[in-house]
Amino acid sequence: MTQTRRSFLKSTLAASTALALPIPAFAQDAVLNVALIVPSPAADVGWSHTLELGTKALEAEYGDKIKVTLLENIAEGPDGDRIMNKTVADGNTFLILGSFGYMNGGLKLAKAHPEVSILHASGYQTAPNFSPFGARYYQGTYLMGMAAASLSKSKKLGCVGAFAIPELITSINAFTLGAQSVDPAIEVSVVWVNSWFDPASEQEAAKALLSQGCDVVFSNAQDTPSVVAACEEAGAFVFNLNSSMKTYAPKKYLGVVGTDWAPYFKASVAAHLAGTFAGASAWLGMADNCVFVADWNPDIAPDMVAKIEAVHATLLDGSFSPFTGPLTNQDGAEAVAAGVTLGDDAILSMDWHVKGVTTPLPK
Amino acid sequence: MKISFIRRERASRTAMLVAPVAAFACAIVASVVLFTLLGKAPGQALYSLLLEPFLTWYNFSEVLLKMAPLLLIAQGLAIGFRANVFNIGAEGQLIIGAIAASALPVWYPQGDSAFMLPAMLLMGAGAGMAWAGIAALFRTRFNANEILVTLMLSLIAAQVLNYLLLGPWKDPHGFNFPQSVMFPDAALLPILLPGTRVNISLLFALIASVLASILMRHRFAGFQLLVGGLAPRAARYAGFSEARAIWVSLLLGGLAAGLAGAAEVAGPLGQLQRSVSTGYGYSAIIVAYLGGLNPWGIVISAFVMSVIYIGGDNAMVSADLPIAAVWVFQGLLLCFYLAGLTFIRHRVSFIRKAKP
Repeated sequence: MTQTRRSFLKSTLAASTALALPIPAFAQDAVLNVALIVPSPAADVGWSHTLELGTKALEAEYGDKIKVTLLENIAEGPDGDRIMNKTVADGNTFLILGSFGYMNGGLKLAKAHPEVSILHASGYQTAPNFSPFGARYYQGTYLMGMAAASLSKSKKLGCVGAFAIPELITSINAFTLGAQSVDPAIEVSVVWVNSWFDPASEQEAAKALLSQGCDVVFSNAQDTPSVVAACEEAGAFVFNLNSSMKTYAPKKYLGVVGTDWAPYFKASVAAHLAGTFAGASAWLGMADNCVFVADWNPDIAPDMVAKIEAVHATLLDGSFSPFTGPLTNQDGAEAVAAGVTLGDDAILSMDWHVKGVTTPLPK
Repeated sequence: MKISFIRRERASRTAMLVAPVAAFACAIVASVVLFTLLGKAPGQALYSLLLEPFLTWYNFSEVLLKMAPLLLIAQGLAIGFRANVFNIGAEGQLIIGAIAASALPVWYPQGDSAFMLPAMLLMGAGAGMAWAGIAALFRTRFNANEILVTLMLSLIAAQVLNYLLLGPWKDPHGFNFPQSVMFPDAALLPILLPGTRVNISLLFALIASVLASILMRHRFAGFQLLVGGLAPRAARYAGFSEARAIWVSLLLGGLAAGLAGAAEVAGPLGQLQRSVSTGYGYSAIIVAYLGGLNPWGIVISAFVMSVIYIGGDNAMVSADLPIAAVWVFQGLLLCFYLAGLTFIRHRVSFIRKAKP
């Protein structure tokens, strides 16, 4: 879109003064203005932080040809909509919306401004200039489950979850399946805090799980180190998503299922500049260099590390999916038949837990 | 030596007018220092904070959009605050109002009846009233403090919202995301100013302001309320009821907040979702007090607060200010104004300790 507009400007350069085109229009075309809008503070760790790192990579690549504006702590709803509109009015033509709740406003904006390209986190709507993106965290949490089962003495694992949406449900299911691949007797309890950012209730939830005897805890989609710190204090292993929180749990940090958005952001911006941006769902995993695992705890036995690495390799080359049948759901009924592997659509809309997750899903 | 604040018999009118201006000047000076220390251009920051909301029609319309719920709720709350009935839970009443109003479009997502919208508004206002009524009942029957009860009811309201959005009212095609279906057109408020998001809820707020001023200034009922709250015993001798002051205050506050909630889901949101309010119920408390609990003062303070909110958002986008700096500016403004008010209403006296 930008490309066509730019060539249009070039071809009518002589007439431009007559048309009284404002001068800043040229300046804006030379520098790409990118806005990143996130719902929580872009602190030193967590989801918003990894998105910010992705835009930092853009700045590193394009230098002064790009200007990134970070808008943090933006409430979803009318405020978010207004701020999106304002960024476009200010000349930003590439938007990264860092939360599901920005979907409806972002979609409206995309339709009104075909020259703007928008990336939208964890949604399900697509438009020609509006692409939803997400990470296949479940690939990493499966490996974490294996490590957790090998370290757990109580055979009870816990998870503090933000919202019971498919993205988080799949992470918990894969975590459980990974653990059961090592020890079939493993059980997982879940506490939903219904917030992306609420350090106090996250910590409460972690303590509740620990008091039930869980000795490995999964901090699922928290943007704060509250769960991680609480587990370190109580001597329970803990891991989280997006960015490493090892400094908050130097002894008991199990590892991180990290995300690196730089490759996807770079490719999308390049497409936008080339005028080939096409709205499409991007659900990125290990093979896309998006999801990775790191900072493994040294307490994991060497033979376990070898087993994890072997599975890691099959996840990387796509020869293995955690959601391969036979899988049984919480009620004991067959959810996936033997030999069947769930497709992306089924995983993206998952609203059931596998057997071994003891907490029922909120209905 | 002891410093004490003694309430003035009569606050100076000039000082009342000078105070906001002085507070404003102090806040600007302090924030220029702050922005400069942060390495941001203070001129650009102040421009987008204070001027930009007025410079384009779009920005100004957004100020009005923000103002509607703040003004409506603050007018409702001020009735109670004047009578010393402290409804701190307007946020919860707003949420319950939004939920009740959403029931119709959630159950009839294809509805196109002309009665849908009026029914939604009535349900929202009624539910807000009922929610606040719980606190009134507890206060009058069991003498439970309404500050605590309304505040805790807000937490319950938020959980009711979570329950509905994660369960029965979840959009069946929404992949389990916590939000309702998008409302049909028949469930949306008409736009007041074409080309903007400002809907007729702004009129509700202005009508509420007129009604509040009539109630408090010209009617015996307003006087009864005031006395009932301020001096319950005196009110009883005069035959006014304290219980009545409590009921009326809380019900009207709940009505306003519930209606504001209904107007949010039927207005800019167009669906029921988690962030149905960005703290309007709490901000309205500040608005009510900044406006001196006077119905027309509240109109001004609601407008000023909205300008600061919209300006703050602008400053983040255009002047690259971090959100914390925006909040500091907003906090500075309030602090200086409240400090100014203290000096207007009280005089400082230095009392030397009497020698033993």
